[in-house]
Amino acid sequence: MRRMKLLLLVMGLLGSFALAAVGCGGGGGGGGGTTGGGGGGLAANQVLNIAWGAEPPSLDPGLATDTTSSNVLLAIMDPLVKLNPDTLQAEPSLAESWDVSADGKTVTFHLSHDGKWTNGDPVTASDFVYSWKRTLSPELAADYAYQLYGIVGAQDYNSCEKNCDALADKVGVEAPDDFTLVVHLTSAQPWFIQQASHHSFLAVHRATVEKFGDKWTEPQNIVTDGPFMLKKWEHDAEIDLVKNPNWRDAKDVKLTAINGKIIVDGTTRVQAFESGEVDTLDGSGLPPDEIARLKTTPEYELYPSLGTYYYGFNMKNISDIHERRALSLAINRRQIIDQIAQADQLPATGFTPKGISGFDQINPNSPWLPENGDLDQAKSELSQAASPKKDINLFFNDAPGHKEIATAVQAQWQQLGIKSTLKQQEWAQYLEFLGPPPNNAVDVYRLGWIYDFPDAINGLELWTCDSGNNNTNYCDKNFDALVAKAKATTDDSARYDVYGQLEQMLFGQDGALPLSPIYWYTYPNLEKQSVKDSFFISPLDQIDFTKVVVKAS
Amino acid sequence: MTTFIIRRVVWTIPVILLVILMTFLMMRQIGGNPFRHTERNVPPAIQANLERKFHLDKPWYTQYAYYVKGVFTFDLGPSMSQRTRTVNDVVKDGFPRSLKLGILAYLWAILFGVPAGILAALKPNSIFDYGAMLFSSVGFALPSFFVATLLIYYVGLKAGLVPTNGWPAGFWQFDDRIILPSFALGLFPMAYFARLVRGAMLETMQQDYVRTAKAKGLRYRRVIGLHVLRNSLIPAVTATAPLLGLIITGTFVIEFIFSIPGIGRYFINSVSNRDYSVVMGITVLTSIIIVIANLFVDIMYGVLDPRTREAR
Repeated sequence: MRRMKLLLLVMGLLGSFALAAVGCGGGGGGGGGTTGGGGGGLAANQVLNIAWGAEPPSLDPGLATDTTSSNVLLAIMDPLVKLNPDTLQAEPSLAESWDVSADGKTVTFHLSHDGKWTNGDPVTASDFVYSWKRTLSPELAADYAYQLYGIVGAQDYNSCEKNCDALADKVGVEAPDDFTLVVHLTSAQPWFIQQASHHSFLAVHRATVEKFGDKWTEPQNIVTDGPFMLKKWEHDAEIDLVKNPNWRDAKDVKLTAINGKIIVDGTTRVQAFESGEVDTLDGSGLPPDEIARLKTTPEYELYPSLGTYYYGFNMKNISDIHERRALSLAINRRQIIDQIAQADQLPATGFTPKGISGFDQINPNSPWLPENGDLDQAKSELSQAASPKKDINLFFNDAPGHKEIATAVQAQWQQLGIKSTLKQQEWAQYLEFLGPPPNNAVDVYRLGWIYDFPDAINGLELWTCDSGNNNTNYCDKNFDALVAKAKATTDDSARYDVYGQLEQMLFGQDGALPLSPIYWYTYPNLEKQSVKDSFFISPLDQIDFTKVVVKAS
Repeated sequence: MTTFIIRRVVWTIPVILLVILMTFLMMRQIGGNPFRHTERNVPPAIQANLERKFHLDKPWYTQYAYYVKGVFTFDLGPSMSQRTRTVNDVVKDGFPRSLKLGILAYLWAILFGVPAGILAALKPNSIFDYGAMLFSSVGFALPSFFVATLLIYYVGLKAGLVPTNGWPAGFWQFDDRIILPSFALGLFPMAYFARLVRGAMLETMQQDYVRTAKAKGLRYRRVIGLHVLRNSLIPAVTATAPLLGLIITGTFVIEFIFSIPGIGRYFINSVSNRDYSVVMGITVLTSIIIVIANLFVDIMYGVLDPRTREAR
């Protein structure tokens, strides 16, 4: 009897192996789709296989905070405006045009009459009113609600504890008719139109959200209004999109499907690309130890990014300007980029990255941020410091690459006779540790800033006195006043001049140097030849799938 | 036997309460803001909204009570980082995948490790013995992430035989993607079982009752099959429960490397995201599994070895 059971067990096991073997035979044939058609022309099968670097934490425009969610959302939803991938200027999308009042405080969007939800309902201005107020509601507790704080009454509603309904009514967004959306801003915000391209400003379908609650984003429930539709979302494994044939500009969309694999580990992602399982990666980074090899392949592609990698100084501890100058001068940016970061990042000559509108007017071309470092000048600056701190703690988080950069900087500072101790922390702990308020144990810290919208203000206002992102103890009322002035300046060129003055206050000849920018980020990516020409990642890390075509190989 | 099982089941309750408490306190100790994942500071009003939504504004004992209540009503609460999903959703999606990976890894161990051990013991100091033990030593010494990386590189990339990542969606679906991860994870138990079974068999074959069985003229197969094998499998069964712990922690790494959307990967991500509810949910789940596995082993003892049954 017992032996019988054992036999059955063994047979069962063998059986499942046989099943597995049958499965093997069928594997390998699927996917693909990028072959066929004549040379140089379009592939018969317009399917893009992409590897996403993360599971989208949420496909609710109100709750999404990360790049993957954002890119999927921008494919399945219809934003009011899109940004030109090169100039980053706003271009019409669902909004065919817009007017800005003379004082800059009222923006009126004129919506296309052809916007349609996938259930057939028209997309109306009141969808946006509902969606934005929903994002601001304290019950939703949206992380990115602050994206909407530029709207009158938005912050009050978001932070309300009582009379919330009354405050919701006071939020400055209204729909006088189905296709007109009027937004009242707290001040002139010349970047507001560009900012409206962010996924936080997308509309959601009210009836669907109210019917399904938290589960409205699942493929069987979701109602969208973009060029693609969510076909399948197997959490943490796959996100498949198909073309929406009823989208207003469907005739211009070539891709019929986007099959997304979610592959978190960078090395695994590269392996999936090299074994031909995917046509492209999403720009979420290549492993530092592989990048040198990958750069030599024809599939390698590099995009500039709106982001700055910097070392912040705690000005209470490194209080002498001459010492901060010396530390900054000693950093050899070129060496860090070429030998460690390796993704052709740009050596920073100010905070505002190249690629932002008005860069030439804004960039301070700082004398304290030499590309190759300047040890002699650094030593001479250090000699002028009254009582320099010779033993400093340098903090960074444990993600790949930061330690190597810190080690290089440590060696460069060593030549000044400054001893630095490297302190590494896990990301979440690190963020809490840094502050605000700035932690006194920190002398120097590494951090980065990735822009939310393509206007220099997004990075410069970090250095105001009560900014939640300023851990340097830098606080200058004149700087704050100038930031306020910039915010009120609607003329672009005049505003860029003010940004230039702000950069001078930070990094100019007499700048306070509360931080030392190291480089401006890039997005290195791998793309098959069949999609390389049309696949594009914008400096804000956005991918426009409506422009992608698959060429026959 | 029944009272024994009931007593053991009742005992799991305080164990689980303690696990919840310790995980809860440890999660809080490591610090970090569960709502801040990028360099962007969270504005105070938004932080307050989030804390209110997830009850983090309540005192710790109230939060603990919420968790305990959740666990015992099978509602593990909403995920803090995947805002449109609950921990139950995460477990429902991820657990069957991890379970399948674990079972397949065990299959390698049972199908190859046990026979290798038997063969080695039946022909001690033969080429089989040395071969099996060399293999076992290698399997023992190599960490699974290393084996996984080697397999991906040589079998997946160089030879192009199987995909390097992914996992079939359904529990009963099988394709070539299961081979590498399950082998990488199964190598250690395979090596362990081979060694264990060999040792136990050699020892059993020295026993008086085996000599008696041989002396009374039983056929060789019957001696080995009935008397030796059955008694030699006890250590292997005993090893199952602690191995389960190893397999579970092993899946965490293997899932990450092979991009398998199992529960281990959620766990790692959730710790770095400070997604308290997911970390709590998965810890409680794994501890329940280990408790049950230990219970199962105790019961199996009784089945395989009547002496232990009577002693209780």
